[in-house]
Amino acid sequence: MCQYFGKFCLAMTMTVERDEKGFDAPAPLGHPGRAGLPQGHPTGPEIGEKLPDFELPDTNGRMVRLHDDRAGAKIVLVFYRSTVW
Amino acid sequence: MVAKFFHDTYKKRDSAETLIDAALGKVVLTDDSPTANGGSEDIRITVAVHGGKGSIRQGIIRKLVVRFELADGLHIYGAPVPEGMVATEVTVKGPPGFATQDAEMPPTERLHLDMLDTDLGVWSGTVDIVVPFYAKGELASETRPLDADEILIEVQVRYQACTDSECLLPQKETFTLNLPMDVIDVPGLGLHKGHGQREGSYSSAPALRRLMFRKIRQNPLSLPKYLWKNMRLERAARKRLRQRG
Repeated sequence: MCQYFGKFCLAMTMTVERDEKGFDAPAPLGHPGRAGLPQGHPTGPEIGEKLPDFELPDTNGRMVRLHDDRAGAKIVLVFYRSTVW
Repeated sequence: MVAKFFHDTYKKRDSAETLIDAALGKVVLTDDSPTANGGSEDIRITVAVHGGKGSIRQGIIRKLVVRFELADGLHIYGAPVPEGMVATEVTVKGPPGFATQDAEMPPTERLHLDMLDTDLGVWSGTVDIVVPFYAKGELASETRPLDADEILIEVQVRYQACTDSECLLPQKETFTLNLPMDVIDVPGLGLHKGHGQREGSYSSAPALRRLMFRKIRQNPLSLPKYLWKNMRLERAARKRLRQRG
């Protein structure tokens, strides 16, 4: 796999540094992939507010509307940043 | 919107149990949680690690739950309290790299003390104090194998229980829990190197085959469509190569 990514891959796999929060990662400190959410960054609707409606395909390709199709059930929305582990 | 979770680093994330608890609005302890019990007949204390059978896993924030079950008429105090009284306190200690976040205390009820002419925050009935914790690089790092199979943590609980007319003596109890360390498995690919405590050789071909059969069963036309699309892509790629000479 690394032959496709060259130096970038080398940096991702070989450099191990511990950050100021005590975590290790196979990428150098300052790498954009290690950055957290900037202080004061907007985080969407507040607790108690209603989420805006949206429509997305489910795993079978059927379009699902957030508020119309969940029949009053609660939902967990996860925005997941990592695919590695 | 009932809850939102954000962290100061992508190295921390909430467990599935945290999301379920947020949706239910309460902590539901399971039988497989490592648990220690204490207190007395009137004040039962359960200390448990919530989720993942109490395992510590790189990146996941687990929750230590200290549950007080108080007999009718008894209450315990939230901080602040006047001098001479003891507010409920939970302290958790573990090996290097074991990190805790601020304890999550439920809202207190107001109790007016006529003698001192002051309002105090109290809890009665069942009270859950939750201490989130996680592993830093010293304890579990994605870049090396685990040093230990399990760790020992010490939980110290301090409290004073009272009725409306009298107070019991302040108590301090210490609980210990053995928590298993959970290994992170990753595929042994070059790009993944150093992303887990154990690298293995896995083939995704069977899963891909099952996915393709499922898609074809659901929509038999998807197979000729897929083949046709592939042929067009290959033809376009060959044409590009010819044009480049």
